[in-house]
Order: sequence, then C-alpha cells, then structure tokens
Amino acid sequence: MEQMVLDIKKALGGNDDFFIKRDYLLENEVLLLGLNTLIDITKTKTIFQKQSEGLISQGKTSETIFILMGELFEDDTKKAITSILEGKLIIYIENTKKFIIYEPVPKGLNRSIEVPSNESVIQGPSNSFTEDIDTNIGLLRKQLTSNKLLVHSFTTGKNQKTKISLLFINGVVDKELVENINSLIEKNKSMDISNLQSLSKMLGFSSWDTISKFNTTELPFHASQFLKTGRVVILVDQLPFALILPNLLWDMFIVESDRNFPFPIMITIRCLRVIGALIALISPGMYVALVAVNPEALQIELALSVAQSREGVPYPALVEVIIMLVVLELILEASIRLPKSVGPTITMVGGIILGQAVVEAKLVSNLLIIILAATTIANSTLVGAQSSLSIRLFKYINVILSSLFGVLGLVVGLVFISSYLASLTTFGKSYLYLNIGRKEQ
Amino acid sequence: MVRSLHVMIMYVLCHLGLIFFMFPADIIASTEQGHWFPILIGIIVHFVCLLTYMKGLSFFPTKDILSIFSKSKKGVTFLFFAPILLYLIMAIIITVRAYAEIVTLVFLSHTPLWTIILLLLSVSAYISYKGIEAILRAAFLLFILFFPILLFVLIMSFQNVDWRYAIPFDTDLGFISKPAYFESYFAFAGGFLFLGFVQPFFSYERKNVILSAIFLIPFFLFSVYIPILTLGQASASKAFLPFVLIVDSINIDWLMFDRVTMFFLLSLIAFIILYLSLSLWKAIRIINYYIPKSRPSYLLFGLSVAIFFVCFWIPDWKDVENILFMNSFLRSYVLIVVPLFIYYIGRRLKRKDTNETI
Repeated sequence: MEQMVLDIKKALGGNDDFFIKRDYLLENEVLLLGLNTLIDITKTKTIFQKQSEGLISQGKTSETIFILMGELFEDDTKKAITSILEGKLIIYIENTKKFIIYEPVPKGLNRSIEVPSNESVIQGPSNSFTEDIDTNIGLLRKQLTSNKLLVHSFTTGKNQKTKISLLFINGVVDKELVENINSLIEKNKSMDISNLQSLSKMLGFSSWDTISKFNTTELPFHASQFLKTGRVVILVDQLPFALILPNLLWDMFIVESDRNFPFPIMITIRCLRVIGALIALISPGMYVALVAVNPEALQIELALSVAQSREGVPYPALVEVIIMLVVLELILEASIRLPKSVGPTITMVGGIILGQAVVEAKLVSNLLIIILAATTIANSTLVGAQSSLSIRLFKYINVILSSLFGVLGLVVGLVFISSYLASLTTFGKSYLYLNIGRKEQ
Repeated sequence: MVRSLHVMIMYVLCHLGLIFFMFPADIIASTEQGHWFPILIGIIVHFVCLLTYMKGLSFFPTKDILSIFSKSKKGVTFLFFAPILLYLIMAIIITVRAYAEIVTLVFLSHTPLWTIILLLLSVSAYISYKGIEAILRAAFLLFILFFPILLFVLIMSFQNVDWRYAIPFDTDLGFISKPAYFESYFAFAGGFLFLGFVQPFFSYERKNVILSAIFLIPFFLFSVYIPILTLGQASASKAFLPFVLIVDSINIDWLMFDRVTMFFLLSLIAFIILYLSLSLWKAIRIINYYIPKSRPSYLLFGLSVAIFFVCFWIPDWKDVENILFMNSFLRSYVLIVVPLFIYYIGRRLKRKDTNETI
C-alpha cells in the first residue's frame, strides 16, 4: 500500500468505523477511505457509479473525470485526514498517487428544521436554526435573498475542527468591524471553539464582562433583520443559534416580529419590556430599602401594612430577600435541568410551598412573595437569554447597596449599573448605541 | 449630531445637580426682594463667560484645553492650570461633603457620614476611571431614568404657591456686597469647564450648548421662586435648604410615597455623582499632563483617597460654608479669567495665522 494511505491508516486506523475499500473507477484501481458513521456508503457508491458512467458515456478522458468528481490533491495527508473527519470520502487513485475529496451522501445526523425551543414567536416566521452550519447559512440566505449578503467561512481549532462563518451585508455593515473580526479569527485560528467563552477569547473580549458581547437568536428571521441594520452574524457549527455582534442595550427590548403589530401596540409592548427591566432591577432593592432603612418614605397606612406583613419575621429584610431570591434562582435553574415530565412538579412545589407555606410559617412576609413574583415575571419579559441573565445578576448589587444606604443605595446602584453599561464597547461600538448602521458625525 | 446631544445632556445634568441645593438659599440670603435681578445678573454672567469660552475654544477645533498650551513651557502653563486644578479639587470636596451632609439630614440620619462620603466618592471614581465616553453616555442613560422624576416633582412643587409673594419687583444692587451672592456662583461656575476638555473625544456644536444653557434658565428661576412663592421671603430666608423644604411639604394623595423629596433629592444625587466623576476626570487630566509617567488610575485612586480624608476632616457645616466662600476667588478665576485667556490666545493665534498667509 502507498505511503500516504499507510499514514492515514496510522492516524485513523484505531477507529472501528474507519474503512478502506478497494474499488474501480475507469479501469483505475482506487481506494475509498472514510468513516462509515458519517457516510452512507451504499447510497454514495450508487451515486458515484452513476456519475462516473454518465461521464464516460460523454467520452471524457479519465483525467477530466477525476477533476469533475471533486477536488484533486496530491500528497497532502493532513488535508486528507481533516476531510475524512469532516465526513468526506477520499478516493485515492493508486497509479497517479492523487486523491479526490468526494462529497458523499451523509448519514442523517441532523435534526430537521423545527420551531425554536427557547424563543417563542407570536405571528412571525418560526423556522429555527439547527446544529448544521450549512443548513443555518441556507436558512439565512432564504430569509434574505440579496447579492450583498456575504459569507466568510473559517475552519478553526487544533484538536477539534470547528467551522465558523461570518455573515454580513456588504454596504450596510461597518467595514472596520468586519475587518477586525476577520483578522482576529485569522490570528487565533488555532484555538478550539466549542462555546461562547472560547469564541469571546478568540475575539479578544475580556472574560469578566457581565454582559455578553454576543446577542443570540434562534430565529433566522431575527438574524436577517439584524444583518439589515449593519450587524455581523457569526455562525458556529453545532451551535443551534446565531451570534449577533455587537450586542446592544436596546436589543433587550426589541423583537423584530414586534413590527408585525400596529405601531402603537409595538411601542406599548416595547415600553412594557423597559418597565420590566426596571422592575426586575429595582423592586427587590426597593423592598429592602423601604422596609429596613427608609420606612418613613412610604405613606403611613402603607408603611403600617408593610410592617404588619413582616410581623413575626425573625431576621432583617436583607437576609429575608437574599434567602428567597436564592431559592427562586434555584427553582429557575432546577426547572431547566429537570426533564420535561417532572417540570410541572417543581412549579407546583415552588408555587405552593414557597408561596403559601413560607408565609404561613412566618419565615418571610407576604409582601416579599409579591415582590419576588413581580421581579421574576418582569425579568422574563426581556428579550434574549443572555441579557435577562445579566439583569438577574445586577439586581443583587441594588439589594446589597439598598440594605446599607436605603433608597440612596438603590439610586447609587442604578448609577453604577448605568455607568457600567455605558462603559461597555465592542470593537469601538458602544453598548448604548441605538443603531450601529447610522454614521456618527 | 448625536455627540452634541451627549454634551448638551451632560451640561444640563451638571447644572441641575448644583442648582437646587445651595443656590436658592444663597440668593434668598443676598437680597430681600426682587430676586429676579441677582438671578438675571448671574445668568448673564454665565452666558457671557460661556460664550467667550466657547468662542475661544473654537479657534482650536480639535484640541482640548491642555493641548492648546502644548507648545508653551510647562512651568508657565502650570501657573494657568494650577488654580483650575485647585478649584476642581475644592469643588469636589465641597460637593461631596455638602451632599453627604444633606443626605444624612434628609433621609439617612443613622448612617455615619463617612460611609456616605465613601459611597459617593467611590462610585464617582469608578465612573471617571471608565473615561469621558462612559461619563457622557452614562449621563444619557441617567437623564432618561431620572429627569422625568425631577420634572414631575418640580411641577408638583407649584402645589402651594401663592403668586402674591412675587411682588415687590423693584430691586437694588445691594446684593453685590453680600458674600452669599458670590457663593451662589458655585451653581454657574461648576459645569462649563468640561467643554474645553471633551473636544477631541466628543465634538459639539456651540449652538446646541447655548440651547441647553437656555433650557436651564427656568430651573434657576424656579429654584429660587418656588420657595419664595410658597413661604414668603421672611420664612424662606430662615430655611437651611429652602427648595428641599418645599418639596418636603408636597402632598400627593394618589402616590404611595409620602416623601416626594426623596425622589427629587435622589435624582439630583445621581446627577451630582456624574458631576463629581466629570470633575475628577478633569482633575486627573490636568495632573496627568504634568506627571505624564504615572498611570491615571493610580492618580485617580490617590486623589480620591486624599479627597476622602479631607472631607472626613471637615467637622461641620460652618466649615463647608467657609470653604465655599474661600473658593469664591478661585471661582471668579475659573469663571472670568479662564474664558478670557483662552479667547485672547485664540485671537492671537488667528491673527498670527492670517499674517502668515498674507
């Protein structure tokens, strides 16, 4: 056997799904190499035969036929191994010592295009991205039929090959942004990308940012709308969502399918989300501040009823709030982790035990339960899993500052959060921009 | 266009933070009747200084106030910048100390003063560490968050107004000799210096800044006239913080909160934190210009700690007022000499340029 084939066998032969098969193509002895877990061999062979027969009947010479079948290479073992791992079929022609990278019929390892599982859409296109990057690009192309949509693809990683694609609309996008991202990906091509943290490391973002630099969406419709406003979309193979760069504050409050409603309703819905963010940030801190430090700010009747509801609660408001908030976070986390069939149980346990029993046992006040419910519900109005998580974290700053300084602490907390948000930039684009497509003067 | 907006908002917020506290008391203390006259004089002075300053700066379109002097010797320019620096630091000290005192008076009577000073200073230092872009952008956010509250309280504070207190209108120039009147210029002098510092980072149009200065005129008037119209001159002059007192007396049945003051004060404190961070940033810019080797973040930390200890060391309100009065000389320097000097240099440069082209 040839040296190159031996090399490939040495590298991949330890795998039981690796095959080397002898076959004939135009009276040439060829070797077929590949992984049978990725390739549907029977179908591939049938198509392969048909194709070659068709070409022979047209009277093409063997050399042209080789070129027409796929990419022709010589002496590139590394390339061959990578291609095999990517699910390609290698046709090694023994007398010419060249090999063809042939596009086989793949095993059906991808799920079909479904409705999104984490984002729900009311009255909007509801195809969602899948794990396969080519399907995803296809979905976007279908959503956005334009000759200005450009796709740049990269294969990254040393130990684990991952395909990354960069999509943008030429003419709308800021060229500097694309060049920056392109050059950073080229520079850090050897990094293994399997999650957003490694991708942010590749793009040189600080790993201590509380707000994600990427906005994520499962919907090609949303991704295409972001593209139109001058954002860059990054698709990573095996991640079933699009990453939108840069992420902006305003994205927390807008969903593109809002525009399917009449204008006044759209405005109202968006205002509602802003109020949601504010309530989620402020209300736990406000409770602590008003109960523990500044009860005199409330009207006397209200202050009395608040005091009454806290009667018999044995610890300070801060401890009360923190305990309940942590329990609530645990419920949220648990309901993600649990199988769908057990999920409702947790809701019931959370609802009844925490809502009713905890109050009756005088461990926390009635009012706090209301505040917590409002906080959690308000938090869920925000768009995007990433941003709502950040808001969930930020509210603790307010809670702690409020317990120390009352309402002043709350306001200083808000100032602090605002200035933190104001200081964030992605490739020179501030987090507070409303729209990056517009040119600044 | 967008950049002008940020500068405009910053300009408005800085002044709003400063107007409502000491300014009404100072004006009410400086004259018995016809308060519009001292306010008007103040506003005119403010406008003249602002216009001169901006005209002067416009001769150097892409330079900030420090790089205008980059060709001259550092020793000479230090004579020009040292009073500004001293003024900024003193203004920070006065503001932090005064506002911490007001906070303890109004709603945190059990909290030790130093913790409030620490809180105000640390957040301001954090914001100023993030740089001018972050400061101006944060101003934008805070404006959206807190300005509606401020406006709401301001409108509500007309609740108990008796318009007859506005008369008599006639007035005299007696206020000029009162120290309180010069202290009132703290509200005018504080904000406008930053226009000379933001230039390379944020460009702005002069017209817009003037618009925001015009926007501020009603606030100057209301801050003095609302206490007078509610209480009358005689009682208003007895109050320590007249405007805060008035806001405290507002009663709104349908609001779940009893004390509207708190919201009013808190939104102003949000603006004051911004003002402090801006002043700290300016001070660090000047210091860093003379000590270029040190890292700005270390300087900022050192300056904040120093300011904290000075604030801590000031024993009571009397001393704050003394410092405020002492600061009057520096204030007049910042308000009058700095704009004139920048204008003079700009003119000279322009004349030189035209001579050379001829």
